[in-house]
Amino acid sequence: MKKNIFNTKHLVLLLCFLAGSFASEASSHREAPLISNDPLADNTDVYAFRSPDDPNTITIICNYIPFELPEGGPNYYTFGSNVRYEIHIKNKTTTADDDILYRFTFSTVNQDPTTFFNIRLGQQNQKTTYICQKSVNGGAFTTIVSNGVVPPANIGPRSIQSTPVGLGAPNYDALITAAIANATSGEKVFCGPVDDPFFVDLAGAFDLGAFRPEGNTTNATKDGLTRYNVHSIALKIPINLLQKDGKNVSQAANILDGDFVIGVWASASRQQIKTLSNNGTVAFSGNWVQVSRLGNPLVNEAIIPVGMKDKWNASLPKDDVQFAQYFTNPELALYMDDTQFGSAVPALNALRIQNHSLGSFDFRNGKPGLFGLKGSAAVSGTALAENAFGAVLLPDNKSPRAVDILPIFYTGVPNLAPYQLATGKTGGPLSAGKPFINNFLPTLGDMLRLNMAVPVTPRNDPKFSSLGIVNAAVLGLTDPTYNTSTAIQAIPNMDGFPNGRRLEDDVTTIELQAVGGVALAAIGLFYDDYIPGQSPVTTNLTNVLSFTAGPTKNDTTFKVAFPFVQTPWRGFDYTIKPRF
Amino acid sequence: MKKYLKIVAASLLVALAFSLDASASSHREAPLISNDPLADNTDVYAFRSPEDNSKIILIANYIPFEHPAGGPNYYNFGENIRYEIHVDNNTATPGDDIIYRFTFTNVNEDGTTFFNIRLGKQNIKTTYKCERSINGGSSFTTIVAAGVVPPNNIGPRSIESAVGLGAANYESLVAAAITTAGTGEKVFCGPADDPFFVDLGGAFDAGNFRKAGARDGVAKFNCHTIAIEVPITTLQKTGKSVSQATSILDSDFIIGVYANASRPAITTLSNVGNKPDASGAWIQVSRLGMPLTNEVIIPIGNKDKWNATAPSGDGEFIPFFKNPELALYMDDSQFGTAVPGLADLRIQTNSLGSFDFRNGKPGLFPLKGNPALDGTALSEANFGSILLPDNMSPRAVDILPAFYTGVPNLRPYQLATGKPTGNPLAAGKPFINNFLPTLGDYLRLNMAVPVTPRNSPDFSSLGIVQAAVLGLTDPRYTASGTALQFIPNMDGFPNGRRLEDDVTTIELQAVGGVFLAAIGLWYDDYVIGQSPVTPQLVKTISFKEGVGKNDTTIRTSFPFVQTPWRGYRGAGYTGPKSNTFNTIGLSPDLLVLTAFPSPFRTMVTFHYKIAEDAQNVKVEVMDELGRIVASFDQGARKAGDYYLPWSKANLAAAAYYARITVDGARSKSIGIIKTN
Repeated sequence: MKKNIFNTKHLVLLLCFLAGSFASEASSHREAPLISNDPLADNTDVYAFRSPDDPNTITIICNYIPFELPEGGPNYYTFGSNVRYEIHIKNKTTTADDDILYRFTFSTVNQDPTTFFNIRLGQQNQKTTYICQKSVNGGAFTTIVSNGVVPPANIGPRSIQSTPVGLGAPNYDALITAAIANATSGEKVFCGPVDDPFFVDLAGAFDLGAFRPEGNTTNATKDGLTRYNVHSIALKIPINLLQKDGKNVSQAANILDGDFVIGVWASASRQQIKTLSNNGTVAFSGNWVQVSRLGNPLVNEAIIPVGMKDKWNASLPKDDVQFAQYFTNPELALYMDDTQFGSAVPALNALRIQNHSLGSFDFRNGKPGLFGLKGSAAVSGTALAENAFGAVLLPDNKSPRAVDILPIFYTGVPNLAPYQLATGKTGGPLSAGKPFINNFLPTLGDMLRLNMAVPVTPRNDPKFSSLGIVNAAVLGLTDPTYNTSTAIQAIPNMDGFPNGRRLEDDVTTIELQAVGGVALAAIGLFYDDYIPGQSPVTTNLTNVLSFTAGPTKNDTTFKVAFPFVQTPWRGFDYTIKPRF
Repeated sequence: MKKYLKIVAASLLVALAFSLDASASSHREAPLISNDPLADNTDVYAFRSPEDNSKIILIANYIPFEHPAGGPNYYNFGENIRYEIHVDNNTATPGDDIIYRFTFTNVNEDGTTFFNIRLGKQNIKTTYKCERSINGGSSFTTIVAAGVVPPNNIGPRSIESAVGLGAANYESLVAAAITTAGTGEKVFCGPADDPFFVDLGGAFDAGNFRKAGARDGVAKFNCHTIAIEVPITTLQKTGKSVSQATSILDSDFIIGVYANASRPAITTLSNVGNKPDASGAWIQVSRLGMPLTNEVIIPIGNKDKWNATAPSGDGEFIPFFKNPELALYMDDSQFGTAVPGLADLRIQTNSLGSFDFRNGKPGLFPLKGNPALDGTALSEANFGSILLPDNMSPRAVDILPAFYTGVPNLRPYQLATGKPTGNPLAAGKPFINNFLPTLGDYLRLNMAVPVTPRNSPDFSSLGIVQAAVLGLTDPRYTASGTALQFIPNMDGFPNGRRLEDDVTTIELQAVGGVFLAAIGLWYDDYVIGQSPVTPQLVKTISFKEGVGKNDTTIRTSFPFVQTPWRGYRGAGYTGPKSNTFNTIGLSPDLLVLTAFPSPFRTMVTFHYKIAEDAQNVKVEVMDELGRIVASFDQGARKAGDYYLPWSKANLAAAAYYARITVDGARSKSIGIIKTN
């Protein structure tokens, strides 16, 4: 068991692949028909990570309003004043609804209605302020920020810095700093325009999967979100406010303590009835209806089909079982399967789902996957056992991805066999291996799940990787620092997606690799070209691990301190870069 | 005076030789509509067709800033929106005389995919109906019942490939979508390059216009176009063809055009994600006639109201035209010094030693009622009540009519050419007549004005400003004095609007007083008896906002707007092939042969799978010339999977073939690679 199942020869090869920078892509911009026409309420991304500058806190960032052109005047983008923006947090499975709920409501005023300019002579139009309210355990809402300020759009030097023509600010960042509020309940809050941290080859991805990996010599990939801004709602929250029993992280039993798992999602709601008048005003009334929501990235962009996308946006995570079929047999898997449309999507050639793993297991859509093991002695004591989660993970003989894709999105992944790295597994994939993840919060709904006890990988650590847990798995399988025992160890990037989501994480690549079966391979369900007794680092596995979906990083840096998202691009003179 | 003009003409033309640039129209121009992009009318164009002079082209664009790669739900015309183009051709009839109404329907042909186009099916596929009213909206007749909107130009896989639509190319989809209505109009509705151009980043940073480094803020964006080619006989109020016009400025050939978008008053969201329910009266949420009105003339406090108002209600907005905000930035006694980007534009404060056109000043009001005005448009018997309303509305004489009534071919609205020195009220050379005095914002076009060929050396994106310059300075036009003559670009903005017209520059020059100067109300530095082409006039005419022209060409034929930018450009990437146990085919499991690893160094394992029991199975390895390198007789095999390892370290590094033959009949070959 202590002996590494990988030989060092292959380790070198694998690390060579990993030395190349890994790339990935975007999340939920214009992802469903209805919301694509309501940009103010369109939730584009949610991030949740342990703060690198303060590991006793968690940073949650929810972005709205896709594709904000930095020079998109004269009416620049801002939060909608008739939209409820909410961040939902679950920290226990014993309750049905949100355990913590943050609600943001915004107001805009025109300080000088006589000009068509947004900013003139120290006055700002569409000037936006907000209140933040908080409800804990379903209780009444308490206002925790009563006079929050949203910085103006970063229009240009005349509007922001000049005096008396503009606002006379020393610089734009001074406006950001001034807008960071301290909530009465202990959180730090920022709401305002920022660089969109997401990155994706939109043009390639949605031209029927014509992905252009970073570094390919055929056709340079393009970040479709480059030089666009979004509006961020960012919170920095002490861990003891999020942990279900109010514990500090120092009280965690270990770095994968199941009591430190939270599930996060964000939403936007509008009142049901909108009434236009013929004098150019609009009135809203009726119940609040959810029009956008997002937990894990790309779910509604690339997993939910177009016929269900609007319904997904209107649904709550607790009702997500109705969508489970799109996770147990994901559409993307059809494009990684030569008996389906695999040969029609050459950009995904490198991703070929196991159809004969260990000579037996077929994970292509509609195939049995691990169902043949259901109820057998082999699965007793594992998460797949009937007295554990077999009902969810092995539902029938045609839902192969209920064992990996579904739990990543719907329950989180427990630190139980078989969900441990192949490192140290002497009895096949179902035996005990090296722990690498535990973000199990089995609510059966789409949330971004984060184990807050997992240590932070410093952003300047040479082992920091935008591949998140995939990289942690690779290190745990191949790096001698980690692959000689089954002991719980802090492997770099265990704090990355899908254990929460860092701003840097290349979630598009991670998710495509995951649909391509990489998580199955990590736990010992190797690719078809694996030969027993030889290295599992086969051609197929290296193809998968070296696959990138497009750009691998954001088009600018991140701030090293809260709110971490970067200063919005300045409309007057941002450096231009092609978006398609 | 003519003599002096000739002398300076050369220097002025040199100034004009610099490329002229300009900018955008009505993109995100008001708070409410900026959040309803599908109904956001961005630009309206109306021009006599360069390919068929008996037709007029009307183009209304919607949906600003469409990212060509903005998937997975690409932009499209909205349901529950009425998109309309209104034409007024007769001040004697109430309301608009002709209305084209477009309504769109979207369907998903394959609701099971997240892709927009897959396997010949298209999601959010859009069709439309076009109705026409010729009685002011009392009744409508359907003239296109089943129009097709081309899909977005996503990329080669979606449009041309067999896994997409399998079209010959995107152009063929545009061509196929052009419909001829039973009533004679040609119609196209679909995505197109946004023909507008403007330095958004500069203009809206408190007027940070720049001579260097300007960038087109709508470059490489698409919009959705509604384009109609209409016979002039359909638009002319009594059905005349252009050959029946009495002159090239015949007043009976003037039309006013605007476009709008309306939504039902009440939208009720579904709580299960169904399409919203829309009910109630139709409410106008966006409208546009003249470019940039709601962007830079109407202040923010009135922008939403402007969008909700019909041109017939425009009387309440008159103050913003008589004393336009932009004029404050061209006036050193106001904010002129604070906007260095507009330093070249300085409004006349002392024209002809008398007239001050700065905001709040009298302008020509001191002449009101003066007998000198008799016979001019400014007389009380004519339009003095509108043009000279009071002593603090100086631009009621030029900016207001340009937007609200059109400009008549009457004194003083004729070029200074032929006018006695210092007398702008005298008869001069005609250059415009698009007078349709409805007192509302329309794009007004005199359809009798000839077309300037787009390839003419005289063609200019400065429209009427350039026509004025030529009429004042070019001997081809000055020689005939006050005679009516076609001057190139008389068919340009603000007499209608061509796709090429640099309306931002034209409007900024206009607010800077260029039309006043053209009719003889010269700039302050004019000295009587010397040339009116003073340094200030040259600076004004040389002023250019932004980039000057669109970021691509304009088509030479209908619909004139250019093919939408393609989201995916360049060659497709093919990933490295991975091994699988099944190959695509009608009977994928009948006979399978794979090899792994490949390339191999010392050992390769063949895996084969047979679907039925066989008597004689043979696996062979051949080199590239077909010579057998190794042969493995497997004998009789039952249906199932088999593995055949083969160790051959001393084989030369090369490509080889492996072949499986079953019962001497069915066979299958694969390539394998040996490396050292």
